[in-house]
Amino acid sequence: MSEHEDPKPSPPNAGDGWRVLSYLIGGVVLYGGIGFGLDRLLGTQFLLPVGIVLGAGLTVLLLHFRYGSRS
Amino acid sequence: MIAGVPTEFTPPGPDSFDLPPIIDGVDWFTKPVLVSALTVVVIVWFYWAASRKSAIVPSRLQFAGELGYNFVRNSMARDAIGSAEYMKYVPYLCGLFYFILLNNVAATIPLVQFPTFSHIGWAYVAAIMTWVIYNAVGIKKHGLWGYFKHQTMPPGVPGWLLPLMIPIEFISNILVRPISLSLRLFANMFAGHILLLVFVLGGEYLVFETGNIALAGVGVVTWLMGLAIAGLELFVQCIQAYIFVVLTAQYIGSAIAEDH
Repeated sequence: MSEHEDPKPSPPNAGDGWRVLSYLIGGVVLYGGIGFGLDRLLGTQFLLPVGIVLGAGLTVLLLHFRYGSRS
Repeated sequence: MIAGVPTEFTPPGPDSFDLPPIIDGVDWFTKPVLVSALTVVVIVWFYWAASRKSAIVPSRLQFAGELGYNFVRNSMARDAIGSAEYMKYVPYLCGLFYFILLNNVAATIPLVQFPTFSHIGWAYVAAIMTWVIYNAVGIKKHGLWGYFKHQTMPPGVPGWLLPLMIPIEFISNILVRPISLSLRLFANMFAGHILLLVFVLGGEYLVFETGNIALAGVGVVTWLMGLAIAGLELFVQCIQAYIFVVLTAQYIGSAIAEDH
């Protein structure tokens, strides 16, 4: 067991990139979906793009908190 | 359209993946079923034969088996899950990796030449198994409520942002992960196979059906391109098996990780 006693987090690899992608999809789908639903409900047209941009922005912020502080 | 062209070229489409049953009347027994069953036999035989006579000085077969096993164990499972708990998951990861790898590479093997995972149902089942496992071990470790908190509370986020962040975490960790896992594998196999069909069948049409020497020349070039694509596809097939299993290991690792 002594050969792999490793307290440091493993370095980022290919899997991290794909996880980040699923966050981005999730954020855009969620807030874009909310925008789409509100558009339907209120009869407006501008909330879907607002939701998509908001979702993307929030997700980038979230990624900053999740992955950015790992040094 | 060139005069004298006998038949219209029918491009390959999703229909090209609907293969007839191998034995008439047995509808479920199609090529992907046969290929996947054969890969299971090959994998089981290989690891059984490689581990049957374990010796300090390994035979060539045992060496190959240990190499294949260690690759999954060390570079995927241990790196992603951590040295304390990774051994439990190595059998699943190892089996999954070689099953996907062989079924993908089957698309390149002459006479087989069909990627099992280009039928999305196979990819769904593989992704669902991974999804069930990482959620189950997470719930077992943290408890149901603790697990949801663990998966949806991003560390270091200021409190007023949490209501906006938690839904993103939930959607991406619980819902998008299995979908992206299965779609990535399926779409890569499907697209690669259809690309090869376009090049090979298109080349065949140009060479044999048009009756035009210049177009026949283009057809030969098309075949050469198809050969290059086949090489690229072999690479994609290996990468996709690797990505699927690395992500599975990472999902398990993040599900059972301690909160910081």
